Amino acid sequence: MSTTKLEMNDKVQNLDPVTFEVLKNGFVNLVDQMAEQMLRTCYSFVIYNRDFSCALCDAQGNTVMQGTQDISVHVGTLHLTAKAVLEDFADDIHPGDVFLVNDPYRGGTHFSDVRVILPVFHDDKLIAMMQTNGHWADVGGSNPGSFDITAKEHYGEGLRIPPVRIYSKGQYLTDVVKIIVMNMRIPEERIGDLRSQVEAAKVGEKQLKEMIEKYGIHTVLTAFEEVQNYVERLMRAKIKALPKGQWETVDYIDMDPQLGDGLIPIRVKMTITDDEIAYDLSDSHPYISCFLNAGFGSALSGTYAGTKTFFPDIPLNSGFYRVVKIFLPENSVVNAPSPVAVSGYCSGAFEKIMNACFELWSSIMPERAIACSFNLEYLLIGGYDQRRDSSEYFMWYDWMAGGHGGRIDRDGANTTSPVFGVGLSVQPCEGQERLSPVVTTKHEIIIDSAGPGQYRGGCGVEKGGILTDVNQTVMSYCCDRSRSITWGIMGGLPSIAQGAILNPNKEGERFLGTIFSNIELKKGDTFTRPSAGGGGLGDPIARDVKAVLEDVIDEYVSIERAKLDYGVIIHEIDRDLDAFEIDMAATLKERDYIRKNRHRWLGIDPIEVEQMYNKGEINQMDVVRRYGVIMDYQTNKALPISTEQYREAMKKRSLAYWG
Amino acid sequence: MTQSRLAIDVGGTFTDVFVFNEETGEVFVTKTSSTPSNPEQGILNGVEKAGLNGKDIKIFSHGTTVGTNALIERKLPKTALITTKGFRDVIEIRRGTKEDIWDTYKDTARPYIQRRDRFEVTERIDYEGNILQAIDEEEVRLLAKKLKRRGTESIAVCFLNAYVNGENEASVKKILKEELPDVYVCISSEVLPEIFEHERMSTTIINAVLGPIMSNYISKLSYEMQNKGYEEEILVLHSGGGVMTSSTVPRYAARLASSGIAAGAIASKHIAKLCGFDNAIGLDMGGTSTDISLMYKGDIRITKDWSIEYGYPIGFPSIEILTIGAGGGSLAWKDEGGSLRNGPQSAGAVPGPACYGRGGTEPTNSDANLVLGRLGVDLLDGMMQLNKDAANDAVKKIADAFDQSVEEAASAIIEVANANMSDAVRLISVRRGYDPRDFALVAFGGAGPLHGAYLAKDLNIPKVIIPTHPGVAAAMGCLLVDVRHDISKTYVKKLDEVNVEELTNQFSELREEARALLVEEGIAENSSSLTNFIDLRYKGQWRSLAVLVSDQITSLDAILEAFHQEHEREFAFSDQGQAVEIFGLRVTAIGTVPKPNFPQYAPEGSLEDAFKETRPVYFEGKYIETNVYHRDKIPVHTQFEGPAIIDQLDTTTVIPPGFTAEVDAYKNIIITVN
Repeated sequence: MSTTKLEMNDKVQNLDPVTFEVLKNGFVNLVDQMAEQMLRTCYSFVIYNRDFSCALCDAQGNTVMQGTQDISVHVGTLHLTAKAVLEDFADDIHPGDVFLVNDPYRGGTHFSDVRVILPVFHDDKLIAMMQTNGHWADVGGSNPGSFDITAKEHYGEGLRIPPVRIYSKGQYLTDVVKIIVMNMRIPEERIGDLRSQVEAAKVGEKQLKEMIEKYGIHTVLTAFEEVQNYVERLMRAKIKALPKGQWETVDYIDMDPQLGDGLIPIRVKMTITDDEIAYDLSDSHPYISCFLNAGFGSALSGTYAGTKTFFPDIPLNSGFYRVVKIFLPENSVVNAPSPVAVSGYCSGAFEKIMNACFELWSSIMPERAIACSFNLEYLLIGGYDQRRDSSEYFMWYDWMAGGHGGRIDRDGANTTSPVFGVGLSVQPCEGQERLSPVVTTKHEIIIDSAGPGQYRGGCGVEKGGILTDVNQTVMSYCCDRSRSITWGIMGGLPSIAQGAILNPNKEGERFLGTIFSNIELKKGDTFTRPSAGGGGLGDPIARDVKAVLEDVIDEYVSIERAKLDYGVIIHEIDRDLDAFEIDMAATLKERDYIRKNRHRWLGIDPIEVEQMYNKGEINQMDVVRRYGVIMDYQTNKALPISTEQYREAMKKRSLAYWG
Repeated sequence: MTQSRLAIDVGGTFTDVFVFNEETGEVFVTKTSSTPSNPEQGILNGVEKAGLNGKDIKIFSHGTTVGTNALIERKLPKTALITTKGFRDVIEIRRGTKEDIWDTYKDTARPYIQRRDRFEVTERIDYEGNILQAIDEEEVRLLAKKLKRRGTESIAVCFLNAYVNGENEASVKKILKEELPDVYVCISSEVLPEIFEHERMSTTIINAVLGPIMSNYISKLSYEMQNKGYEEEILVLHSGGGVMTSSTVPRYAARLASSGIAAGAIASKHIAKLCGFDNAIGLDMGGTSTDISLMYKGDIRITKDWSIEYGYPIGFPSIEILTIGAGGGSLAWKDEGGSLRNGPQSAGAVPGPACYGRGGTEPTNSDANLVLGRLGVDLLDGMMQLNKDAANDAVKKIADAFDQSVEEAASAIIEVANANMSDAVRLISVRRGYDPRDFALVAFGGAGPLHGAYLAKDLNIPKVIIPTHPGVAAAMGCLLVDVRHDISKTYVKKLDEVNVEELTNQFSELREEARALLVEEGIAENSSSLTNFIDLRYKGQWRSLAVLVSDQITSLDAILEAFHQEHEREFAFSDQGQAVEIFGLRVTAIGTVPKPNFPQYAPEGSLEDAFKETRPVYFEGKYIETNVYHRDKIPVHTQFEGPAIIDQLDTTTVIPPGFTAEVDAYKNIIITVN
């Protein structure tokens, strides 16, 4: 699998600078107008919270422009689904037609991301395609919200929609739409989403036709091409100025549930030549037995988005994809074929690719360096709401903000939406409590959750609750990084493990891990889960002691961990008045002690560490930060293979920088 | 004794003064430098410069950036937040999003209250308003003592679900008031009883941090004005497009977070109406940015989605203003992909455009306008001289980069700037379902009249209005508003589950509260009016649309029909078969303040009397010898063809070839696109 064959385009611009700039901005404006309309009329709360994207594609399906607020995860896939429609319908596309597609094996991301594609004609000739893509709250399958971690194949995950016509020459195809939405929960709302997306695409069509009227068809079509050439030229110019060479790294998915102990490697090798970037993911693991695999579209997307993050000003279109070549091995965790399940790709392969890219680019552009960020997580509780006389089906479908990685000259961002899509907003508890019998008991920053570093990661969040009047209710979780714990770079340390806990601090407390489905719940059950902090950047014992003190005052860091992670000894004088004292002599001594011992700690037998943990001498943070040991917190056993893999990476990312 | 209405708008750089003499109908305008460290001083200077005695002033209205600056600079009183246990970080978690989704080095501003000043108490209310856990009085008293030790000056209280039941908040407030009588306390159920904890908490916090600041500022100003002999209330402009008196400032301080910004939009609305337009787009273009607003059928668009800094919303209705980084000082540049760009970076006040001769060397819109001859070398009646050579040198950088002549480059720079502004106007008009062809463009601010005609042409807007005093229009706006309060609540119910009586009862409560506020402000019964709005959406949708409801609700069908129509207009479709849900109720209370009647003038003299000079001005690829006129000498009802340049103290108006200008009876210039 590779991207569009590269053709160096040295053509000078065929438009005068003003017309070009006007049309370029006009295209952005057009796409943003579609987005705004979708946001204001959609039914799925997932779309409402900005899990959606729009694009203007040309007659070949290439993306001319994406919107300014589009979510990262859809980057670099919208042209693929447009092309899929062209492939399947070729000459059989007519004015007034509208198509629907959600197929991850044709370049889509997962079934939930349903794309409406509206072809635009001028004088009976296809000239463009408007695309509106939104995450529907449900697309059928065995689980509410369409996440089934037990699915190995896609058949149980939801409805697969290859390119399909839903309007023919202006005629709404009721029967086709019905067979689609009747296979989903709450069909009337799915029709509402469909309607919202079609109307939004029409807004784009109308705007494009006005541009054609004003500037002429030839100029607009030339601008389609020029805008892509422009992005390509811009990107090549930027790459030319970069050092050349090859860089590689590995990030891991926690496990293949069928294989047991052993992290699942995703290896990213990047080569920068004269004015191109090539990625090779050849040595990544074969696809695994759960839904954390990525289809090729989402793997491309993760690579593009990971790259684009280091070029924030570059507009997104197919010109960008011409400069970035990507090789994805067949039948791998980053290129899973049909019918392998991929609906959890967002928590699985996708963010691993993105963070691996971040690490590679951090060494090339240290001024924009960023350590690993927390993992996207979706918690789903579905069942019957008994609060009123009628027993209604409810879905509590939740995701959290978390900590982003530490940066070259400052701490990571606290409590921010996942790198999967920083535009994805977390939901208000008050809204959730109206709609479902789940009462949130806390939504707060977790002390010490940030990966230590000279610049620490951002802080993670904990959100948990209690079930009230429920019946026949189950919980599922789509997450990762309970083992491949959010890591630091340039000497920084990991943050904390993710994973959900049932009935915390109560009898029957259970660590459920990061991927599970259909756990039965009853009235009074409680649950919680953390989002990790970001990984740290730089040596934690080089952190400014005053910064540690400020963190202690704000309770981002505890006095205990100030000592353990940063070697800073702080005495509390009067917390009510924010009065604390740094013991400089003791701090120097503690830092010296850490410096002398930390290499050794990373070599201690994992079984010994497991014993210390089980005796209560150390906690989960010590296990990973100090000893680099990975444990299964369901059994409280060390995982020797995972530990070896994790330590190897940690030696490169952390130890190598400690001198 | 004369009776004058005084309006003062304090901006970052200048304090603008607008005086209207009711007896003579004369208008006096002036500008003085702002005095940020002591803002009332700038105001007193302005009053002096206007030659006014306090006894001369009948009404003093005021717009101010005191609140905005305090927020941005974090110069805030020591404020504590008290929340439900487990929720003190809601304000820091926000909705998790960032304004710039790609740049990992552009951070969201930090919260107005640090974590160390955020405290929790055990309490809980459920979604229906049932108290699951009552307040523990002892716990609150202990916390109050801690806050006292910490020297807390202001407290925001925001509990989960307090929008349905504010009892727990009220109990805490009572205890705090007993323990800390001098501390300013505000609770979310009083400030803004609306659903969604982050938005309500954010609004409550902003109210708490600004409460003491705005109260002190207004009372200091009142004292100074009283010393000058002014006995009446000071009317302070709020972001909702109304004024409030000093008595309600403490309760609704968050509405003053951007007191000044609404003024331009209001002025634009008033001027457009004066000229006979019900639909108008306001374009206030200054040195570094442009504020765009929209009036449809006589009403300015209102939004509840606004903030001073991204991530910290203020939930009160506010005049919708779209601000973009395009102004006279915006820089033109060529990017690495070979595209000509304009802004958002600006030369700012220092060094300023190259033509200011203060060390700037990069080309700006002002430089391009000077190169083209659209801007003359004398500004501010000769008080400021521009350096044309420096402008030429700067623009030549762009010319060389694109292999063009300096004039071609300057034209290109202006065209790109105009296109960017047109895109912004589209966002607020076309994107919302409004057709620019049905609107007039009111172009003001120092740079608006230079660009207005071209923008109108680009957007197919038929008429452009250049107000008499474009540079102080915002101050004028302060004179043109009524006392206004918006009382709202969240109320979620299917429309077919409520009846006329229940809805009427719900509105009655809100109306009572609204009326009480007007009484508190001293508004006479016959000057008060209340308007009901209901927020509706299709069941399952997330956003709602506000629909006007008559005072006497007689039928729900009419409300339903109005909603379908509004949805159709805004989004080009409606769904008659879908159930409709109520989301919220709002009552707007207006206390009418008498407005000045601007005089109409009779023609005097001729256009020739206004003639100043001719100069070559570059239009559409060539220099044309163009007449320059003194604005104040052009007789009313005069009509003339472009090209022409019109000079006045605070701006320059360009009438390009192919446009017709007419001065109306109020001395506004109306430009028609031929």
